[in-house]
Amino acid sequence: MNAIEIRNLTKTFGEKRAVDGLNMTVPQGAIYGFIGENGSGKSTTEKLICGLIQPSGGEIKLWGKDYRDQGVRSQIGVLIESPGCFPNTTVWNNMKLQAANLGLKNENEEIRRVLHLVRMDGAAGNKFKNCSLGMKQRIGIAFALLGNPTLLVLDEPINGLDADGMRIMREILTDLSRRGTTVLISSHILGELEKIATHYAIIRGGRLLKEMTAAELNANCPTYVAVRVDGTERVRTILERAFGRADIDEQTGEIRVYNANAEDVSKYLFGNCGIAVSEIRTAKISLEEYYIDLMREEK
Amino acid sequence: MNTNIKNGDFGKRLKTMLKVDARRMFTMPTVWIMLAVSLALPILILVMTSFIGGTTVNPQTGAEETVETFTNVWQAIGSAGGAMSMDLTSMCNINLLYFLVAIFVCLFVGEDFRSGYVKNLFTVRSKKLDYILSKTIVLFVAATGMFVLYFIGAMIGGGIAGLSFDLAAVGASAGGIIACMISKVFFALVFVSIALTLATVGKQRLWLSILGSLAAGMLLFTMIPMMTPLNSGAFNVALCVLGGPLFAAGLGAVSNVILNKTSLV
Repeated sequence: MNAIEIRNLTKTFGEKRAVDGLNMTVPQGAIYGFIGENGSGKSTTEKLICGLIQPSGGEIKLWGKDYRDQGVRSQIGVLIESPGCFPNTTVWNNMKLQAANLGLKNENEEIRRVLHLVRMDGAAGNKFKNCSLGMKQRIGIAFALLGNPTLLVLDEPINGLDADGMRIMREILTDLSRRGTTVLISSHILGELEKIATHYAIIRGGRLLKEMTAAELNANCPTYVAVRVDGTERVRTILERAFGRADIDEQTGEIRVYNANAEDVSKYLFGNCGIAVSEIRTAKISLEEYYIDLMREEK
Repeated sequence: MNTNIKNGDFGKRLKTMLKVDARRMFTMPTVWIMLAVSLALPILILVMTSFIGGTTVNPQTGAEETVETFTNVWQAIGSAGGAMSMDLTSMCNINLLYFLVAIFVCLFVGEDFRSGYVKNLFTVRSKKLDYILSKTIVLFVAATGMFVLYFIGAMIGGGIAGLSFDLAAVGASAGGIIACMISKVFFALVFVSIALTLATVGKQRLWLSILGSLAAGMLLFTMIPMMTPLNSGAFNVALCVLGGPLFAAGLGAVSNVILNKTSLV
């Protein structure tokens, strides 16, 4: 069963189409990376799924039921933009409100559990307004985790987290996914997303450009041999003649040789051409590079 | 999820929503400030105006002018017969509290939208009616508390200012005063529901809902003394006890439609 199914979803704000005939399928238990530029319609789609704004057209189904169904709505944990806490109230009292909202029976125990999960046990007594950005983000995650939801909708949850926070977030989300929780997560930090996502959707202008599994992304992202030498352009031409495709990465100044292994490239350059190689390694096209290339192609 | 909120279980849904609102109300300072103001306001009004009562000389014209102030403590609660005059006793009595109630409603509901709490609330709740109903109930309870405290404050202020407590002097009776207070409390439902509707329209724009509520209050201000005179009878009580909730139900339905049809964030 799919956790989320979206068909021809449209949302217009006046003349502007924020979401334009979007189709998306999020399988149960997936960590679904939702990627797009600013203003591409990610947050709007997430708000539509959560029922915070009304669609102009199309269909949203959660576990096969209409998204407005109370039964399915009570299974969602959400962090969209900010945690939605009262600034002058303590973290604990804010969480007590949400626990009451969810109708939880074992409130105190549950609040302690989620605060512990996000390593925020000590912050319960702090007023929300006095928490740092990273703390607020973690508290937002704790909010979303209250009651052990079956679907988590997270909008840029990694923003503002330090390296340790990101690691904790990775662990939590991976663990939840292993236990069957579906996670829809949007982020601009693609390097982090790549470490945990099992599925991806890339949208632009409110339309779906690509939807794929991590395995499909892997197949779309070839490995290459990165070579650092003097006389880059000359060597690139030599390598292209010998191995087929070879590009220069403008940012790093490295030559990327596809369809070859590091040993062959090294032997060829040194043995056949007498070119000294200062660095050689095997690497893979990252999600970020794939995404940037895709955006360039679509332009 | 280990939750009580299920489809079609209206009672449990409302109970959990009421729990949220009651917790919110009593863990935040706004309600305590409003209650304190409700108690202090009549004391300040009655004590301060007792200093300026009587005749004064206008420094510009030299003419002698009479300033009508409170002579009887019950004037702070209302006027017999429901007549509204433009003097101090009619303008600065318990009816001022309706404006305070409207502002409190706007602050309480507006904070849900301004803090983003509605995202947490409405993601797990598809029925907006629970929200409207719960807010109306808790805000009505708070308004009742404010009216009771104003009444107590008026008694204290009247005692300090040395005002008369003679009911007959203002054409009222003990029963009439009780009926008047019951009518006033239930009439507050009209202000609660108007402010609640405007707060759902204004959402994060608190200024819009407050200004709208005050403007609506100004329109209704002359109606309050007629509906809730100091010598209220069964008719006034029935009118307010039945009319208040009916009005709130009607506007509640409008608020529900607004929340269902508009963006919440």
